[in-house]
Amino acid sequence: MRAELLKGHLDLLLLTIVSERPAHGYAIIAALREHSAGAFDLPEGTVYPALHRLERAGLLSSGWAPGANRSRRVYAITALGAEALQERRQTWGAFARGVEAVLGGTA
Amino acid sequence: MTPELGPIDAYLDRLASELRGDGRRTRRILLEAEDHLRETARQLGGEGRSWREAEQRAIDRFGSPRTVARRFAAEAGDASLPRLGAELALALGLLFGIGMSAIGASGLVAGAFGAAFGKSFVAGDSNGVTYVPARCADFLEYYPRAGSCEAAATAHHFDEVVRYRLAAGVLGLLTLGGWWLLQRTAMRRRSGLLSDSFSATIGAALFGLAATGLLGMSSMQLLFGQAAGAGGLLSGGLIALAAFAAFALAFLRTLRLPLAA
Repeated sequence: MRAELLKGHLDLLLLTIVSERPAHGYAIIAALREHSAGAFDLPEGTVYPALHRLERAGLLSSGWAPGANRSRRVYAITALGAEALQERRQTWGAFARGVEAVLGGTA
Repeated sequence: MTPELGPIDAYLDRLASELRGDGRRTRRILLEAEDHLRETARQLGGEGRSWREAEQRAIDRFGSPRTVARRFAAEAGDASLPRLGAELALALGLLFGIGMSAIGASGLVAGAFGAAFGKSFVAGDSNGVTYVPARCADFLEYYPRAGSCEAAATAHHFDEVVRYRLAAGVLGLLTLGGWWLLQRTAMRRRSGLLSDSFSATIGAALFGLAATGLLGMSSMQLLFGQAAGAGGLLSGGLIALAAFAAFALAFLRTLRLPLAA
């Protein structure tokens, strides 16, 4: 899937993955790739700016956690982030149903 | 022995040079990028690739340093025109505040010159300047103890020079206070859109020109025996020279010159 198409929905995807469990950037990106069966293919380095932005918005929190060789920045969803996720899921659901209805009607 | 630098090390060096902004943010980005790249390379190396090939593949998947840095700037709102405008306004506000404060300081120097060498040295009229009786009457009304129209006019001009300059200085100090508050609060995070040397370069250029002009004109007056009024120019020139020196020093500090051993 083209990166431009994914961009508008990246926040929803990232919040969903982090809501499952706190994770560091590498694990979040790996989960994004695995859950999408490789469909979401974008430069991995461009996901970190989105994580930083979500943290600045108060939807994620983060902190350094000791790793095997290096400290890692681990992201967790906040209460505000959980609320935003719920809202965005509903918005996405309505949007997807609408698109599906149109596509189904014209097929 | 120096360990061999791999592709990831070279990549992180390039990313560091592309990133702009405060040090803490840059350091965090680099640490996260390094962790991600080394973890990816470790995974890819486990699939039978050489370590160099694994590192290169990890870098290819991560994105070019410029792409990543631009995405960080865009996501942080650093690359926006409003942000650039705000930082430009802050920098120009600093220059305005320093400029007005310098005018105020020149007012103090002009006052000192007046006390030391007489008010005529600061604000005396050129030879041949005369006033109509009505204007003289005005001057003498304000300065009845001056004794003559010329002395009253000089006292009037002197007070104007000193007071107006001091008023500009107060405005400058207020502006600098506002600038200090803003850069400590709302504008604390620097985007790096403006070069570190921006204010220093403009300040050095403006004050350098002002110092050259004012000191040049006052020197010419003194050389040609026209001391009246030379102190007004000289006081401004000396302060401009001091401000130029301060800005030039600040500019040199942005050049990151090598330190002597």
